[in-house]
Amino acid sequence: MADEDEDLSHLRGPEPADIDLSDETQDFRFLDKLIVQDKGTLSLPKRGEKDFEPHATSLQLDTLEASRQAMHNVLSWTRTHTRKNHILGVYHTETNMAYVEKIKSQHFQTIGKAKGNILWLLPEEALFMVERGTLDCRWPVKQINDEEHESVRSEELAPMSLQAAYAAFIGFEGGIGGKLTLEMYTVYAGLKRSGYIVFRTGTWDDERAELQYPNLEKGKSTKRSSWSSYFSEVWQRLSKPSIPPLTASALQFGPLLKPGLYRNYADIYRLLQTIPTHDRKAPPEFMLTADSTNPFRITFDVYKAATKFKKSERGTPDFRISVINARETSIPTAAQLNDLLATMPYDPPNPADNMDRKLLHGSRNVILAVVDNGIPSYMRFADVPVSDERLYERSDRAPRGKGGGRQYNPARELRMVAELASETAQKSATSSLTDRLGRRLKPPPRGANIRDI
Amino acid sequence: MAAIVKTSAQQPPSAGVPVDDTSNSNKSVPDVTNAKSASPRKRRPNYAQIHARPVPVVVHPLPAFIPHNPLSIVRIAIVMFSHSLWPPTSHDVVHKAYYSAETHSIHVTNPQSIRALWEHGFWGAGSLSRSEPAWLEQEKRKRGIDASQTSEEYTRKRREERRQFKLERAKVQRETIEQQLRDEGKLDASTSIDEVVSLRLNATVDAADGLVDNSASLSNGKPENIGTLESVVDESAHLETRVALKDVAVEIQDQEHLQLTPEEAFFLTYSLGSLQIYRGETALSSSYLLRLYCAYSAFPIPEDAESHLYTLYSLRERINNFSLGTSVIAPILPDNAFLLRYAVYHHFRSLGWVVRHGIKFACDFLLYQRGPVFAHAKFAVIIVPAYSHSYWSETPERKAETKAKESRDWWWLHRVNRVQTQVHKTLMLVYVEVPPPWDESFRKGGFAVDVGGALKRYKVREFIVRRWTPNRNRD
Repeated sequence: MADEDEDLSHLRGPEPADIDLSDETQDFRFLDKLIVQDKGTLSLPKRGEKDFEPHATSLQLDTLEASRQAMHNVLSWTRTHTRKNHILGVYHTETNMAYVEKIKSQHFQTIGKAKGNILWLLPEEALFMVERGTLDCRWPVKQINDEEHESVRSEELAPMSLQAAYAAFIGFEGGIGGKLTLEMYTVYAGLKRSGYIVFRTGTWDDERAELQYPNLEKGKSTKRSSWSSYFSEVWQRLSKPSIPPLTASALQFGPLLKPGLYRNYADIYRLLQTIPTHDRKAPPEFMLTADSTNPFRITFDVYKAATKFKKSERGTPDFRISVINARETSIPTAAQLNDLLATMPYDPPNPADNMDRKLLHGSRNVILAVVDNGIPSYMRFADVPVSDERLYERSDRAPRGKGGGRQYNPARELRMVAELASETAQKSATSSLTDRLGRRLKPPPRGANIRDI
Repeated sequence: MAAIVKTSAQQPPSAGVPVDDTSNSNKSVPDVTNAKSASPRKRRPNYAQIHARPVPVVVHPLPAFIPHNPLSIVRIAIVMFSHSLWPPTSHDVVHKAYYSAETHSIHVTNPQSIRALWEHGFWGAGSLSRSEPAWLEQEKRKRGIDASQTSEEYTRKRREERRQFKLERAKVQRETIEQQLRDEGKLDASTSIDEVVSLRLNATVDAADGLVDNSASLSNGKPENIGTLESVVDESAHLETRVALKDVAVEIQDQEHLQLTPEEAFFLTYSLGSLQIYRGETALSSSYLLRLYCAYSAFPIPEDAESHLYTLYSLRERINNFSLGTSVIAPILPDNAFLLRYAVYHHFRSLGWVVRHGIKFACDFLLYQRGPVFAHAKFAVIIVPAYSHSYWSETPERKAETKAKESRDWWWLHRVNRVQTQVHKTLMLVYVEVPPPWDESFRKGGFAVDVGGALKRYKVREFIVRRWTPNRNRD
């Protein structure tokens, strides 16, 4: 009954939104399929089921061996530049960028900045392309005049190794903190590989971004006929007895709620609201002084991959990400969070949503990519206008009776187990029962997990 | 005052405290259904009716105005007229409680008050129950007097079913493996899997890996044994108690009291005025209670803090300058843990949330939309102090001190968030702005605290923190 959460939680699996398959150890067999198969039948690989303990069957040993072999195959694959997609770039020392002659390539729809006939790549963009084997970056030749520059063919320049590219592109930009850090690059490359379109937010030169003011809609006044407004006024006066305002002594020594006549609980709750809270609709203000060393700043604008994406007209980003070094910072203080969110656009939830969704969405939000030695963890911080959701004014307070999540029915589960068992006995199928159980049963079983027993 | 008030179970409501009739009539609901225990499905009590009041305060709404029924206006008029002549009061009962220094909690011992506080806003927890004070009912059921079931018993039953299910599942899995082994010709029809597993493991794996062997045999062999053993022990224990208790007189004394946390109690006293806390015979003021709770929220607590505070309190009118006492009782620090917690508690309560203690979920508070009997809590609150005020960055010492107090590393946040998602809660970080010191008058001999003025200095701001996974937001 009360606090029954403590018993139910372990019966249900984690919420699907919280499962991140990339956290799990990889089963390399599916990679095999990606390489071996030709492009016509390419499909997204499925991950295998977990096995928890050795049980000496040849089936299990074979599966394990197959997975190992797949891993070796993947790792032994030689990566080469294909002649067709070969792109030559030159490293530019002054700006720490790379440039290529303008070519038509799929990559440059979402990467680089064209200036005349030349396409400039930011350090992270160049490094990402070098790393994925698309760009062949070369060192520039020293002391070249402009006329000579035209004549020197980039094929003759010294090639840059991947190690050299990392050394050259990270942390040597002019500006704040060498600008691109390894953490930022990790996040950039990770998001790019996940299929997002990523750009720097601004130029990274400013001490901090601009304040973003909420565009509050005007003309909210709903016009009513004078008659109905008159009646509603009368009704309000009738139904609400004049609630005595909080007297100084009541506030000082309590009780806030003097015994008396109250028509409804909403009045009582309104009287009790004495703790000041942050006004999310008010124009934001900075709490700290402008400081270029403040780590909490927006690093990347992230867009979902769209078919008609134009570099020149990006539109508003889908997500904004701030890259944080987990070892050098602690969680943001209230002032830091305030300043960071003040530079985020006002993004109120859909008013038609239910209360939970509205609260989860928040009025402003930011995604912090916390990177610890190359492993990024993304956290979404949302500024929640809890005070705007007046719980006490809601008449439809949850359905009647005892709600609370799915009901767990062990009898049903047992029946299903028995069914499955008889099925497998008939077929003497080779696929392990664990897999099939896993697919059909709720909650998802943890296999014959040793820890469970 | 005694810690345990002995009242017989069937005793009629004592004359001292008037009991509202709604709670009484509601209590009869489960009893009626229990009488017809022959029916396979018991009706669940009507929680919407039992917990109709969100706070232990009565409101007197006007009858509804129905446009097509002119008589409804007459009804409204009558009610308004009678209310103006005999104004009804919102506080029909003021519950009594006292402070227990040992447990840092506030005890309510009157059974009617306990019921009322639980039903009207879910305040406190039973000292012998998980949450709702249900010890007496559980005890009666154990002795076969009452057929109803408490939530703890439901839980126990569910756990047993779950355990059985796991055993069955393990069995099925084992049988599939055995079948597989037989197909591969590694197992005779007669031998059991355990032997083969351990044999093979011993043959292939070195002695150093004996751990694997152990765990494998454990997972394959032992659960049934353990299970049966446990259930045997369980059942025999049950039997014994049943037999023994049959002979004992039916009269059971309620050994349980309600414990309120300082935040709950202070909200009930200072904000709602429906609880009065006593020390002996004297009722205590909010100023005193605030000082008391604040003194007990910081560690270490001076041994005789409570008695010193009380001496000061009783002398407060006669002596204006008590340099003697101030050495023992310090003024309230602005970042006192109780104040921060109370500010957050008050904030959410005043918005209509049912706020409950969150220690079991590794957080400060749990937020229920209506109450624990209706739905699970969706949000888990963690309080983080914020020292944004310029006072805190005036000197380097203060800066260093506040930095230590407000900084938490990223591992902490991830840890907290992982735990909360595992129990299906969403983490809500609540930052509380700590004002500069405000209790300076205490040194000069002012005992009274301007509670409202102090609370208004604390500003709260809520943030929801959730994991974001790139793979799930691509669309």
